Amino acid sequence: MTAALEAVGLGKRYGRRWGLRGCTLAVPSGRVVGLVGPNGAGKTTLLHLAVGLLQPSEGSIAVLGDAPASGPAALARFGFLAQDSPTYPRLTVADHLRMGAWLNPSWDEAFAARRIRELGLDPRQRAGTLSGGQRAQLALTLAVAKRPEVLLLDEPVASLDPLARREFLQTLMEVVAAHGVTVVLSSHLIADLERVCDYLAVLVAGRVAVSGDVDALIASHHRLVGPRRDRLPANQQVIEASYTDRQSTMLVRSHDPVLDPVWSVAPVTLDDLVLAYLRQARDDAPASSPALAVAR
Amino acid sequence: MIRLAWLQSRTRTLLGAAAVAALAAAAAVTGIRLSSLYDRLVADCRTNCGLATARFLSHDQFLQNALNPLIQALPALLGMFWGAPLLARELETGTYRLAWTQSVSRSRWLLTKLGVNGLAAVLLAGLVTLTVTWWYRASDLVATDQYAVFDRRDLAPVGYALFAFAVGALLGAVLRRTLPAMAATLGLYVVARVATTLWVRPHLLPPVRTVTSLLHAQFGFVAENGSPVTMVATGSGPPGAWTLSSSFVTASGHVAGSAELAGFVHRHCAAIATPPSGPPGNALPPANAAAEFDACRRHAAQTFHLLVTYQPASRYWTFQWIETGIFAALGLLAAAGCYWWVTRRTG
Amino acid sequence: MIEFILDPSSGVATYQQLVQQVHQALRLGLLEPGDRLPTAQQVVASLAINPNTVLKAYRDLERAGLVRARPGLGTFVVGRLPRTDPAAQARFRTSMVGWLRSARDAGLTPDEIEAIYRTAFRDCLTEGVA
Repeated sequence: MTAALEAVGLGKRYGRRWGLRGCTLAVPSGRVVGLVGPNGAGKTTLLHLAVGLLQPSEGSIAVLGDAPASGPAALARFGFLAQDSPTYPRLTVADHLRMGAWLNPSWDEAFAARRIRELGLDPRQRAGTLSGGQRAQLALTLAVAKRPEVLLLDEPVASLDPLARREFLQTLMEVVAAHGVTVVLSSHLIADLERVCDYLAVLVAGRVAVSGDVDALIASHHRLVGPRRDRLPANQQVIEASYTDRQSTMLVRSHDPVLDPVWSVAPVTLDDLVLAYLRQARDDAPASSPALAVAR
Repeated sequence: MIRLAWLQSRTRTLLGAAAVAALAAAAAVTGIRLSSLYDRLVADCRTNCGLATARFLSHDQFLQNALNPLIQALPALLGMFWGAPLLARELETGTYRLAWTQSVSRSRWLLTKLGVNGLAAVLLAGLVTLTVTWWYRASDLVATDQYAVFDRRDLAPVGYALFAFAVGALLGAVLRRTLPAMAATLGLYVVARVATTLWVRPHLLPPVRTVTSLLHAQFGFVAENGSPVTMVATGSGPPGAWTLSSSFVTASGHVAGSAELAGFVHRHCAAIATPPSGPPGNALPPANAAAEFDACRRHAAQTFHLLVTYQPASRYWTFQWIETGIFAALGLLAAAGCYWWVTRRTG
Repeated sequence: MIEFILDPSSGVATYQQLVQQVHQALRLGLLEPGDRLPTAQQVVASLAINPNTVLKAYRDLERAGLVRARPGLGTFVVGRLPRTDPAAQARFRTSMVGWLRSARDAGLTPDEIEAIYRTAFRDCLTEGVA
């Protein structure tokens, strides 16, 4: 099966700074993929590269096997919702739907009209006077009515209040249930994505720190608490460890069960897992390693 | 895509069309009256023509004064308020991310947007220019100096409008912000216009040169701020021509400089060479020196001839076409640059 | 028809929470064979969760023989779970209270008692899994 999104050694340079570098990632289709990382990790850059708004400085990226935005046919296969849901403030809701119909051969007029009715939007209202949540819903309707195979969303709920956030995700999940579309959505907060994602990629400082099926990630990570020791069996990879003089607390990745009786083993939440990888990447960053060396 | 481009420029285009319609209505009402006034007062005038002309020109003072600045400013306004925001606003507010991810290639999006808006802007400029040219036709006949309003009549403003629009679009794409793009468009447009007027237009065609005897030519003596009295050539080309220069030449064809002329006056016209006493400033020779003055003129005519270079009236339309062509070509070049920038460089 | 709720702070995977809620409803008699479960679309619309999660929970229930999907009609309850016997519940409660009293009499604090209970509970009930 063709990957919904596949990046190999992908990099993008802005002047002298790399916004994304050495990014290798394959996202299976039919999933709801969360792209998590702190602000500035390169999430927007990655998504813009995927939809052809940016050109890579090195490496390659493909959406459904196509080079991004290589022509109208490739453009028709994905839907993109950019950060802050851009719409034309002076055009009305109905104008936006008309635009979608004119510019997209596979436009689903019935779906768009029904969504707008369900949302209770006045078709004659100008997009500039909509609330943030309504604008996000309008932009989502435009992206979905295009009938794409992959839907890419850049921080779709970051600027929404909790109610609008919930409603937005409900709409999105209804679309997934009804049309079986692959979704890639980014957020700097794992809490936004926890309910909806079944596949996760953690992006830190322009690289993919970890990626995989959410249930598999949860199952293969454990929190261990026990008497202090510095070594672990080879099949366990320590993501994060903290020590007191008596006790060690670790977050480890292990595909085999942890059987050593000295450890008390607890499952991890997705939140713990993501935070551990974020901290690991931060501590591995070249800038902070001298300070650590001194501390040791 | 054409429908979307229309949808987005609808308000602006309709406003422009309404303004043109209002202008055309005002111009039609007053213009017809001006035509009949011209026929009655000036056309068949035999005596007191100066008075008749003055009476004619005193009508519709407001439009007389307003339409020339309007047509002068129109291309710059189109560039600033139509060309510059065209792409800058999309890039500035982020809506390009919406537009470029629909199922339409970026090049088609851009070409349609440039095409529809450019066509509307040029059409608008054309209609306004046509109206203004028609309205002024009687006044221009009275003024008899077609080259003086060269850049405000006939074809040239349409070329300027195309140029300003395309430059605005290009700068908007490059600068990605509306206000700086508007300012840069205005700056570049003014520079291009001034440079063309001063340094390019006079040399588009080799000027006609005529050498005439000073006995039939206009010239005078002048002393500025106490400097030695010298001669100035005030001759011009035939009626309706665009005089580029007039100067004194010797029999050998050498153009005399002002020091040489002062020396001549000093040597041969001693009576008028002494600057009059009194406060400094421009001054004429004393009135009682009329005979000496005349003698000096005759003397000068034996030494110098008057050289006038000019573009004849018959070349007016050639100049219109060339200048319009230059600005239209530059405009298309800017549009091509805009295309290259948006499809190759942006991102 | 039952309605699902989610406890995001429980640390239990979402699909497992759905499975547990069906189990509980079967034990309490809220669901009987022949009842229809909410469609994936309905669950998704009310909880804003991934439809794959709902399908995964339903597949788990189907494997356990508790429900069956009928294409185009929905997912229906076909199995039963033993209803908890009230007498057995009372008996275990009494013996638990006895154990707690003896622990307190031995001088253990409530925190210590709870720690022992939790460790023993986890060791005992996850034996079969690990």
